[in-house]
Amino acid sequence: MLYIIKRLIMVIPIMIGVVIIVFTLTYFAPGDPVSVALGEGYTQEEYDAQAEFMGLDKTYIEQLASYLMHLITKLDLGKSYFSNIPIESELMSRFPVSAMLGLFGIVLTVLIGIPLGIFSAIKQYTVLDYGLTALALVMAAIPGFVLAILCIVLFGVRLRWLPIMGLETPRHWILPIATSAFPGIAAMMRMTRTTMLEVIRQDYITTARSKGLKENAIIVKHALKNCLIPLVTIIGGSMAMVLAGSIISENIFSIRGIGTYMYGGISSRDYPVVMAGVLVMAFVVCVVNLLVDILYAFVDPRIKTIYGIRKNKRKKPAVMPGAESEVV
Amino acid sequence: MNLLEIKGLTIQYAMRANTIHAVNNVDLTIAPGQTLGLVGETGAGKTTTARGILRLIQTPPGKIVSGEVFFEGRDLLKMSGAEMRAIRGKSISMIFQNPMSALNPILTIGEQIAEVIHLHEKCSKKEAAERSRNMLKMVGIRPERAGEYPHQFSGGMKQRVVIAIALACSPKLLIADEPTTALDVTIQAQVLDMMRALKNKLNTSMLLITHDLGVVAETCDAVAIMYAGEIVEYGSLERVFHNPKHPYTLGLFGSIPSLDKVVERLSPIRGLMPEPSALPKGCKFKERCDYSCDDCEKEEQVLREIELNHTVRCMRAEGGGF
Repeated sequence: MLYIIKRLIMVIPIMIGVVIIVFTLTYFAPGDPVSVALGEGYTQEEYDAQAEFMGLDKTYIEQLASYLMHLITKLDLGKSYFSNIPIESELMSRFPVSAMLGLFGIVLTVLIGIPLGIFSAIKQYTVLDYGLTALALVMAAIPGFVLAILCIVLFGVRLRWLPIMGLETPRHWILPIATSAFPGIAAMMRMTRTTMLEVIRQDYITTARSKGLKENAIIVKHALKNCLIPLVTIIGGSMAMVLAGSIISENIFSIRGIGTYMYGGISSRDYPVVMAGVLVMAFVVCVVNLLVDILYAFVDPRIKTIYGIRKNKRKKPAVMPGAESEVV
Repeated sequence: MNLLEIKGLTIQYAMRANTIHAVNNVDLTIAPGQTLGLVGETGAGKTTTARGILRLIQTPPGKIVSGEVFFEGRDLLKMSGAEMRAIRGKSISMIFQNPMSALNPILTIGEQIAEVIHLHEKCSKKEAAERSRNMLKMVGIRPERAGEYPHQFSGGMKQRVVIAIALACSPKLLIADEPTTALDVTIQAQVLDMMRALKNKLNTSMLLITHDLGVVAETCDAVAIMYAGEIVEYGSLERVFHNPKHPYTLGLFGSIPSLDKVVERLSPIRGLMPEPSALPKGCKFKERCDYSCDDCEKEEQVLREIELNHTVRCMRAEGGGF
């Protein structure tokens, strides 16, 4: 518990670091939001007034300091340069859609990637294994936007099976989720295969075989659980991949989520919007990583021991006087 | 009837460029209650033989090429997968070399013992858990520790757990593959004593793989010396130890330090074992043998019976001629 609180507190400096880096990057990025906001034909006075209104007449340090102050003291992400709507309310309405997309993407990645990886491993060097390997290579190599457009052409335009814009009905969700999950599935499949191959070569798997267990029971009870430890890490990492992919798929499928919001912000040099989008994503990645670390303890008893080490250390000598017992 | 009878067991590993002849035409028998020691240096094929009995060879690359393994009169190599699984862990069980890696790190030791009991004894999970605690008591671990994980135990304790798993269903044959090699000397003696006591209590036969002749002398009834995938000398403990005939066996005894003689250096057997992918013709030991002659490579050496319960794979052994 103490550990979880410690980790939660650690999120704050990380987020401040992210703010500073992203702010610096957007500050030095080419393009002038003031002239974009004013459009064609403006006088120097109009320009100066607009720059002052946007707060862009101040120095880099002043701008950064005021952004951080607003963020820390009021959790205020500022306003869009153009729409003048507070960014928080815009994010709030868009976040659930993106979160659902991401969550389904992850679920799909896990449910398809892990079983395929296991099959690939236990059928190593068979046609099935080679086929899945080739499939994974293709899946990982196709860029998300190409895949999305190919899917639109095939399933939406040619076959007319699936709608290609918006999210009105459940059927609308299929293509966006599938295309954003695809690269993750490929990565998950390959990682599962590798870790599975490593695990089934371990001595304790031979022990399990020598007990007379069925091969299925060995894979599920003895091998898969040991596989999960590295896989949990990958699941956390693929969350970041899905988030990045969502920017592309939300735009291609015209979904009103954080991805489209950010994309719009980037193209119109609406820096507060870009900042807010990146911050939300960074925050999600932080939280997912924290969840991954907590999950470890449930999957791996060795890590559970480390978490609870203080309690155990005091108890052990009293329980086993003089016997060889070791706490990691 | 013998409990285990291995006839002409040959196991090979097919590598990309060549074939590794790990076990060549091995014959062994174990009577009920008997302990057979299988001795040889690293790479002689001892572990492969043991795994071959339980059909636990990694395939591919390994393959049992030919031979028969009769257990209570039935050929294990001809059994279906289900029949074989019914024997593994129940009638024949195995103790592995390295206790550090032989236990699943994420299951409690209680679960790992109960698993094999539940599988073979057709009892409830609760009863299996109860019996697993009894097994722990039997190997000298407090039953309360059944809920702990392997990393909370030391190496010697882990090997006790492995032994508890192996003996949980009172097997007729226990295959112990260098059960003490990974342990330090004081724990070695403890573990061996315990294995001996439990074996006698349960009247289990044992195939003990080791390279420690001292352990063999204390534990075994019969001994087989293995070299380059072949049995080179085989007989009762007494005959082989009192009247060793194969030059390799003599070399093994010669390389043991003696307590009552002062010597500057130990006398090891010179040279190395031949590559198992390119075994020489004729006697496999010829290159390292002090008594080799031209005839040694002319013909394939066979096991010759030189006295009752004692066979040697050397053409010079018969006349007692060194």
